[in-house]
Amino acid sequence: MTRGPLFHEQTARRRIAALLDPRSFDELLPPPERITSPYLAQLGIPVSFDDGVVIGRAKIGGKKIYIAAQVGQFVGGAVGEIHGAKLTGLFKAAARDKVPCVLIIESGGVRLHEGSAGEIAIAETMRAIFECRAKKVPTIAVIASDIGAYGGIGILSTCCDFRVMTEHGRLGISGPIVIEKWMGKKAYDSANRALVWKTSGGKTKYLLGDADALVHDSAAAIRDAIAKLLGKSSPVSLAAIKARQKELEKRLKRFGETADPDAVWKAMGVRDIAAASLASGPEFAAMAKRGK
Amino acid sequence: MEKFAKAFPSKPLTAKTAKPWALAGVVGSGNLEVLLERGGRPSDTMECHVETSIPGYKASWLAALADFAHHYPAGGTKVTINDQGAPPVLVTLRLRQAYDHLIKGDK
Repeated sequence: MTRGPLFHEQTARRRIAALLDPRSFDELLPPPERITSPYLAQLGIPVSFDDGVVIGRAKIGGKKIYIAAQVGQFVGGAVGEIHGAKLTGLFKAAARDKVPCVLIIESGGVRLHEGSAGEIAIAETMRAIFECRAKKVPTIAVIASDIGAYGGIGILSTCCDFRVMTEHGRLGISGPIVIEKWMGKKAYDSANRALVWKTSGGKTKYLLGDADALVHDSAAAIRDAIAKLLGKSSPVSLAAIKARQKELEKRLKRFGETADPDAVWKAMGVRDIAAASLASGPEFAAMAKRGK
Repeated sequence: MEKFAKAFPSKPLTAKTAKPWALAGVVGSGNLEVLLERGGRPSDTMECHVETSIPGYKASWLAALADFAHHYPAGGTKVTINDQGAPPVLVTLRLRQAYDHLIKGDK
C-alpha cells in the first residue's frame, strides 16, 4: 500500500527533503547560525541548533512555498521562544511575499521550560497566520505524526486554511494523559490506543470536518495533497465564522454526552465500524459519508 | 551539563565538499546532533566542541573523537555536538553520517 519509508517515521529534515522538489530547499537560520534556546541552556538541558524547527523557502511542483517542519524528538517538538519566533517570522514572510506556507506539525504545544515566551510566540504565530489568510495566502498544516498537534499547536493548526492528516496524525487541545489526569481513568483511558485514536486521530478528525484531506502515510501522498491545496484559500469572514460556530454547537449537541467514539462514527455515516477501523486513510475517506 | 573543547590531529579534508556544513542526528533521549563544518583552522586538526547532558564521560568522548580524527581526513573541519546521552557507538555513527553528507551531499 505505502511506497517508500513511512512519513511518520522520518525526521523533520528527511520529511522536508522527501516532500519538496529536489534541491529546492533553502534553509533560513540554518544550524551553523546556532540560534539556540537561552532558557534550556540556563536550565542545563541540551539545546539544538535549530531549536526543534526547520524553516525555509522551497518549491513543490515548481510552485514557491515557505515551509516549516517541527522536530518531534527534540523536547516533543514543543514551542519555545526561538522555535516560535521562527514560525512567526516564516508566516509573516509568507504574508509579505504572498507565498503559501506549509507547516509540518509534530508538537505537544508550548515548551513548559519557557512557558510564557512560548505562549506569546504561539499567539504571535496565529496572528501571522491570520495576516496570511486576510491576504488570501494559503496556509496548510500537515498533521501526520504520532505526537500529533496538541496544546497551542493544536489550536494553531486549526487557524490555518487547511489541515492534511494521515491515520497516524492526532489533533487535540489537551493530550490523552492530561485528560486522564483531570477526568480519571474511567472517563478516559490514555493507554487505550483505539480510544485515543478514535477520539483524536486522523480518521475521526476527517469525519468531523476538522481535517480537509486524509491521505497515506507517505511523502508522495502528502505532497499531492499539499499541491492540490496550494492555489486555494478559505476566507475568514463573519459569515464563515458564524457558520463554523453553528456547526460546532450542533456537534456539541449531538455528541457532547457520547462516551463511545464508535457512536460518533456511526452517526457521521460510517456503516461498517470494523472495516472502517482497518481501512487505510484514503479508503476510509472513500467509505465515509462525511455528514456535514 | 558538561562542556569541553579539544582539537585533534587529522589529515586535511579534501578540497571539494558537496556542502559547507552537514548535520546528523537529533537532540533526543539517547541521541545527539553533530554539526560538521568546513573552515576550522588549522587545516591539519579537527576542532571539536561538545556539550553533553551527562557529565563524567569526557575520557570516552575524547577517545571516540580522536579515533574518528585518526581514521578520516577531517583536518580543517569544526565539529560541534549537542548530546542527550548517546552511547559511544552512536557518536561514531553520527560523525560518519555527518562526514558522508558533507562530502557527498544529502543523498
